[in-house]
Amino acid sequence: MLATFGGVFAGLLALPAARALKKKFRKSPAPNGYDARQHKWLMCIDVDKCIGCGLCADACKSENHVPEAPHFFRTWIERYIIKKPAPDSTAVRGEVEVDSPNGGRGGFPPTLVPRDEILKSFFVPKLCNLCEASPCTQVCPVGATFDTPDGAVLVDPTYCIGCGFCIQACPYGCRFLSPVTKTAEKCTLCYHRITRGLRPACVDICPTQARVFGDLKNPLENDPLQAFVQKNKVNTLKPHLGTNPRVLYANLDKEVR
Amino acid sequence: MRFFHLPPQIFRLVILIFAIVVSYLVARTLLTPDSFRDTGFYRGAALAEHTEAHQPVFAGKKACGERHPKVIATLTKGGHKTLSCEGCHGVVSQEHLKDPDSKMIKPTEKVCLRCHEASPSRPAWFKQIIVKDHYSEKCIECHLPHEPNEVQ
Repeated sequence: MLATFGGVFAGLLALPAARALKKKFRKSPAPNGYDARQHKWLMCIDVDKCIGCGLCADACKSENHVPEAPHFFRTWIERYIIKKPAPDSTAVRGEVEVDSPNGGRGGFPPTLVPRDEILKSFFVPKLCNLCEASPCTQVCPVGATFDTPDGAVLVDPTYCIGCGFCIQACPYGCRFLSPVTKTAEKCTLCYHRITRGLRPACVDICPTQARVFGDLKNPLENDPLQAFVQKNKVNTLKPHLGTNPRVLYANLDKEVR
Repeated sequence: MRFFHLPPQIFRLVILIFAIVVSYLVARTLLTPDSFRDTGFYRGAALAEHTEAHQPVFAGKKACGERHPKVIATLTKGGHKTLSCEGCHGVVSQEHLKDPDSKMIKPTEKVCLRCHEASPSRPAWFKQIIVKDHYSEKCIECHLPHEPNEVQ
């Protein structure tokens, strides 16, 4: 009796083992002959070059059909205004005001901070930081969001159950729940463009080349990404959280959150 | 098996646990999608589906350059060489591709000011103007957008 039970048990255990073996020998379907293992994409930002025109935020909305309701963004720009210190304080820099009206779409309206109070001001474009130890992929209960072999972080819309755990987990605030599909959405590095040999829409449209995009495994001649890392001292956002973000920011001020 | 005798309660419990484990294994084998665990703990087919589900919207400078090489050549010489055509002229629409005579958006002053209006947040190396102190409110009276270094 026990022997038959043992036999059936062993037989059933063999099923997943057989599947795993079959999988090892089956190649993944590659879109248009694109092999995700041959590429490693990365986007970097040069904060000093951003002029806050908002073309990237608009382009992303058009390219990825992001819902029009104002507060959903896959990429956005923040304006930092560092004020002069109060006259009686010994501080070197004053308070910081951060705003992102409509994510920077359509450009920024003039700030209400008077000109003579401003010590320094700049724009910071933000997007998915492509973390190596991404908290968002770790918490997904169903395996709907994942790191692709080529460096992007995607959401499988047919698998996502819309629990919102990943949206909560991302410390950079780059995810949102789409009101249309009721699944999580985020910057995909324009995956549908990079697998076709194009660049993400925000990189293409940026007039000052503040966004730098490249393939770490297949650098071009005069690759802008290689030039970026050779020329600039870089920083990452929220390094204290241990997410190991891959997106590098050049000339990042310490007040940027 | 005289020496090894399970009490009947335990025996029934073993059967029950066995049944639960078996049904879990069967369900898991049947319900897991084929491409799961192909490249990681996710459905591998999602990668290809993502590419197929979305078509690029922006055409890109290279596509414009195929039909308008002279404009791109002029653009590359001046300060606007890093600009994308669609940033000022809008997305290349399907109508423009089908009927090339249908014009793309002709940019207005608003498009120029979107980048060039003076703001304390813009970097100092970037050319900015305060509109009311500038010579004219109509940019193209003096400026050629494709050759911004030339001023009439």
